Amino acid sequence: MSESAGVVVIGGGVNGLGTAYHLGKMGYSDVVVLDKSYLGYGASGRNGGGIRQQWTSEENIKLARESRKMFEALNEELEEDLEFYQGGYLVLAFDDEEAEEFKENVKRQNRLGVESEFLSPEEAKEIVPELDISQVVAATFNQSDGTIYPFKVIHGYANRVREMGIDVREHTEVTDIVTEGKEIKKVKTDKGDIKTDTVVNAAGGWSSGVAEMAGAEIPNVPVRHEIMVTEPFERFLEPMVISFKHGIYFSQSEHGNIVGGIGNPDEEPGINQKGSLWFMKEFSDTLLDFVPRFSSVNMIRQWAGLYDTTPDAQPILGSVPEVERFYQVNGFSGHGFMVSPMVTKVTAELVLEEEPSIDIERLRVERFEEMDIEEEGAVVG
Amino acid sequence: MTERRIFEHPIIDFDRGEEFYFDFEGRKVKAYEGETIASALYADGLTKFTESKKLERPRGFFCAIGKCSSCNMSVNGRPHVRTCVTQVEEGMKVKRHGAKPDFPEKDIGRGKDRTEKDVEFAIIGGGPAGLMAAITAAELGGDVHLFDEGADLGGQLVKQTHQFFGSHEEDAGVRGIKIGDDLVEEAKKRGVNIHPETKVIGYYEDRKIAVERNGRFEVYQTEGIVYAGGAIENYLAFENNDLPGVYGAGGVQTLMNEEGVVPGEKVLMVGSGNVGLIVSYQLLQAGVEVVEVIEALPEIGGYQVHASKIRRAGVPINTSHTIVKALGDEKVEGAVVHEVDEQWNKIEGTEREIDCDIICLAVGLRPDTGFLRQAGCEMEYIPELGGQVPLRTEEMRTTERSIYVAGDSAGIEEATVAALEGKLAGVAAYEEITGKENEKTESLKKEAKDGIEKMRKGPYGQVPRQGVKTCTVDEEVCG
Repeated sequence: MSESAGVVVIGGGVNGLGTAYHLGKMGYSDVVVLDKSYLGYGASGRNGGGIRQQWTSEENIKLARESRKMFEALNEELEEDLEFYQGGYLVLAFDDEEAEEFKENVKRQNRLGVESEFLSPEEAKEIVPELDISQVVAATFNQSDGTIYPFKVIHGYANRVREMGIDVREHTEVTDIVTEGKEIKKVKTDKGDIKTDTVVNAAGGWSSGVAEMAGAEIPNVPVRHEIMVTEPFERFLEPMVISFKHGIYFSQSEHGNIVGGIGNPDEEPGINQKGSLWFMKEFSDTLLDFVPRFSSVNMIRQWAGLYDTTPDAQPILGSVPEVERFYQVNGFSGHGFMVSPMVTKVTAELVLEEEPSIDIERLRVERFEEMDIEEEGAVVG
Repeated sequence: MTERRIFEHPIIDFDRGEEFYFDFEGRKVKAYEGETIASALYADGLTKFTESKKLERPRGFFCAIGKCSSCNMSVNGRPHVRTCVTQVEEGMKVKRHGAKPDFPEKDIGRGKDRTEKDVEFAIIGGGPAGLMAAITAAELGGDVHLFDEGADLGGQLVKQTHQFFGSHEEDAGVRGIKIGDDLVEEAKKRGVNIHPETKVIGYYEDRKIAVERNGRFEVYQTEGIVYAGGAIENYLAFENNDLPGVYGAGGVQTLMNEEGVVPGEKVLMVGSGNVGLIVSYQLLQAGVEVVEVIEALPEIGGYQVHASKIRRAGVPINTSHTIVKALGDEKVEGAVVHEVDEQWNKIEGTEREIDCDIICLAVGLRPDTGFLRQAGCEMEYIPELGGQVPLRTEEMRTTERSIYVAGDSAGIEEATVAALEGKLAGVAAYEEITGKENEKTESLKKEAKDGIEKMRKGPYGQVPRQGVKTCTVDEEVCG
């Protein structure tokens, strides 16, 4: 049996479903969303739910700013309480060099309409009284940053998208993308073929493999990142606390659990979603340096997901040179959730050949050959 | 409130320690040395232990074995303590805190120190399967460490007051509690390093296991593992099924036969398999009224001999009956049941209320296999064995090198098979890790295999026999 669809979206995470949602909202519902596992099996269902606008590159600041505004409106649009809690992001600096950079970042963020502030260690402690600030040199804080519950966003999107008549299929794995010349002809799956001329690659850690199926090349490399959750408590931690130097982040969810992770600079690239003992030890030891009282708290689960990393830690959006109507919305390098509202809106606009809401020229895959790349410096975890 | 402790029992002699008092929310509560906090509180009449996170519904003492988190409280300032697996101490300060306690005010000072040790064999689970695996590997000369989260080993055996019959030559006619005690003695004699109150909480790559002991994290690097973590009770969906007073049969057994505390006064037993029938009889032994046993199938599931015993005691067993609702707001005050036809449809006009304060669910078990999944073992859903089970060789090795499985974790069967599987896994693991195969190991394996074969030929062995065929794979498949 052969069927057809106007657009096939590969990946049932926040960016695949978000793209389908914006297509539907723009009146286009001849869309099939495929996921090889369950919705949110990839990074969308494994991340810490952070929504941050304190970035260093202009592209990311703008994407994050617009996305934050869209998240604020999303509860109503999806008719779901997404648990978006705007307790801010507290970013800690541990040496003078970092502090200087933070000052510059705040200026740039303020110029672009993000109301971040530069704080002294004592001011940081007022926001999180349990914090050990003995090593902290400075901090930045932005109140409208916060955390959201990823599963609610994913399922909110999925429910709305299905109501719009869009087909969302789980446990359907794409095995090939058939092209003739530069044109896409069909998507092959383990449950049958779908004729189409348009494919959106929102496959997260699996994106470079999907691109390869279509004969396109993107430089994305999956890297495992780990995360954990503790027992729940009444809220005592308002913001998400992060440190680039330690690679750590932690916040308290609306359910009361502390959610946090730490990056391993020696992590081998590859698809690996198992929890490690290294993480267990490193995260808990580092966390105790930040908030010693956490030694009274038990971790209840740890897990891992994939950062879909690019050489400049910025996403890849738009079409590719090798194949026509093959749109990328991947390479988010660990911050795909927080910019998803805007990048998926733009992706839907590109698919429907409309003017994109923001300029994405600097985020196309061609940048790696044509332009000087500006690396995003504010990646955590 | 009437005393819920059992002081006279036809089979069990509850050897209580010294009597003392502890503080529960500013009130003095009596306890005996050796009791858990939860059982002392339950004996004192407490039904609501905590609240659910979202709807703040009451949560009672449920699983009694540290798995369900329905009994978490603050103990001496430390939140989220599982009171059902924590021994009560004189002067302890215990307080309920609902689902979300305040962030602890004091640092309990666990610091960053961690224990990491190398061991040869880790046996996880101290029931019949784990004990037999440990005894066998130690008897052959292995350095064996046995981990169990409970204070007393023996698994479910130590809650069984009935006599086992027919099967294991040596143990026919012996009560479960006795078999458990004997196995523990044997393990000690063979030099097994027993780690009680030590919960295995995770598997990490390269055969490392993480354990929690006294609230601290420890890591063991092992060469071989036998996982014998047992089973988890199945639950049943009906209105108000989360009320305190709806308990699993295992929880009731633990409370009654290990802790010496009765669950309530009038019990509705749901399920007439062997567990439902045996626990009904144990309730009667403990002086508790069993108002009725209901069974959704048209026939009684368990052995006739067990059914006859409780019928003789005047307990009606009603087949083709199901429960649809628990009555009460803060705790169970009754139940609504009705009859069903062979297609499980309700028969109109048969709905009736039952007067009870306890609803005991004995609706089957499923293998506890989370650890094995985490270790990367390939799993398969096999209904005849109760759910997801690991693929394994005839000698109980999973698809992961040096990781073995035995007992209910390999598929729900009865205790004798579990013990024999443990024996087989213990020898096979020993052979693989030490590279020593000899006449002794061969004869031990043969004994175990012949015993298992004999058990599965019996009338109740047919179903698991079929299931085991499906999940048994060749050495080559296991790699």
